[in-house]
Amino acid sequence: MALPRWFPIARNEASALLTAKGPWLLALLLVGWAYRPQYLAWDELGRNMTVAFLQSAGSVLLPLGVLLLSYRAIVEERDTGSLKFLLGLPVTRTDILVGKVIGRSVGLAVPVTVAAIVLGLLGAVRFGLFSPLLFLGVTLVTLLYVLTLVSVATAVSAVTTSTVRATALVFGGFYLLLTVFWQRLASGPVYGALTGSAADPYAAPADGLLFVLLRLTPERAYGVVTNWLLGVGNSGAGYSVVLTKLQPGTNVNAFVVDAAFSQTTAPAFLHEALGLVVLVAWCVVPLALARYRFERGDLA
Amino acid sequence: MTPPAIETDGLTKQYGDSTALSELDLTVERGEVYGFLGPNGAGKSTTINLLLNYIKPTAGTARVLGHDPWNDVVACHQRVGICPDRFDTYDERSARRHLELVIDTKRADDTPRPLLERVGLVDAIDKPAGEFSQGMEQRLALAMSLVGDPDLLVLDEPFTGLDPHGASLVRSVVEAESERGATVFFSSHVLGQVELVCDRVGILHRGRLVAEGSLAELRDRCDLSADATIEAVFMQLTGDSVRTGEVDR
Repeated sequence: MALPRWFPIARNEASALLTAKGPWLLALLLVGWAYRPQYLAWDELGRNMTVAFLQSAGSVLLPLGVLLLSYRAIVEERDTGSLKFLLGLPVTRTDILVGKVIGRSVGLAVPVTVAAIVLGLLGAVRFGLFSPLLFLGVTLVTLLYVLTLVSVATAVSAVTTSTVRATALVFGGFYLLLTVFWQRLASGPVYGALTGSAADPYAAPADGLLFVLLRLTPERAYGVVTNWLLGVGNSGAGYSVVLTKLQPGTNVNAFVVDAAFSQTTAPAFLHEALGLVVLVAWCVVPLALARYRFERGDLA
Repeated sequence: MTPPAIETDGLTKQYGDSTALSELDLTVERGEVYGFLGPNGAGKSTTINLLLNYIKPTAGTARVLGHDPWNDVVACHQRVGICPDRFDTYDERSARRHLELVIDTKRADDTPRPLLERVGLVDAIDKPAGEFSQGMEQRLALAMSLVGDPDLLVLDEPFTGLDPHGASLVRSVVEAESERGATVFFSSHVLGQVELVCDRVGILHRGRLVAEGSLAELRDRCDLSADATIEAVFMQLTGDSVRTGEVDR
């Protein structure tokens, strides 16, 4: 059976990333950024604290790095004219999108996996052997998050006509609003507009709507799923904040289902596994919309 | 019966209110070397971009080797070799890698070296394309268009940026491909080169095809003597537009 038509495009994308400095620099930064032993995490998670490092690697820095290394995927080729070669090949425009997303994802997944393994080794040497299955699970979810980020960035790259616009959308829109400031945005203005009053992160209402809003973004969904695997609590916030929030007699500004619904049962739609559905939806929907426009538009 | 290499019917492209190409009816038969001429902004690139599925038409139809170029792009491009205008190579990738991408997507039996030998670029086979001069990039693009012995070669301004050696090389490649049985369709404003290789030319002016035929036929039509250059024919047919600085699309 012949390889799919997009395969050579994907292979080129992957090898271009793997032979560049950027992805490996990202891997190095991820290790430095994520290796943060804490007493509370050690008390609660024991040796599995090492696995929780992966979640720190996956938040804030990983999305920034992956977006930086992906948002130009198509728009830059369109600007320079090298897209004309790709469009001239016997491939559909959808093949180009698929090849780009898969190739870039592999080219970024390899350095991210290497960073995870280095973190795992550092942690295992210093704190002892963690659960390998848990490590594998969190690594796989992190790689799904990488795929989602590449997919979103490529989708934007495919429908914008200039690098400047792609930068604004990816970093101003997706990264700042939906990644860095989403907790504040969702619980404040968005929740306030829907219900009449913003939610207080120190005393969150037991309202399913609030928590659904919070976990609709890839970053928060990634947090929900990894916290679930780590067993720290039902929340999209970072594991150490969640652990602190759930300590008796302490309070921090984080939204945690177990704290808000301490008197009642949380609704089933707040189950952590649904975070995977959110991640997959972000992986598929923006790309499908972009494909619709990319297939029909003028590209020269 | 084998369908023509290129056949368009009422092919039209508008950008807002401006018409880049108006109701083009064009037929290029198999085995022809067809030169597509016109001043800047006449619609040459628009036509080629339409035929190659870089852009979509406002109205009209086209068949490339009997295929719909927009809905049947894989079957179409499988048999077409493309040398685009105003392209850029991938700076970090070698000439070899550029060719491998085309060879692999076309599932062709070619290897990079002989293709680069044909365009005189074999010495730079492992050099990153970022270090190439414009002429070298043009040669690389030409080599990429030859992958898989295409039935139709579409060369958009293939003489751009080439010195006389380069131009003569393009001509000999075109002749060799034509001898092999391929159809060659190219746009150019380098008229001297066109004269040397074309069986037939079409002259596009302000989005319309104003004349078509062999050079001798065009000379007759313009009441020019038998030794008139293609330039004289061209100037007569497109005279008033030469100084208008329309944007070439």
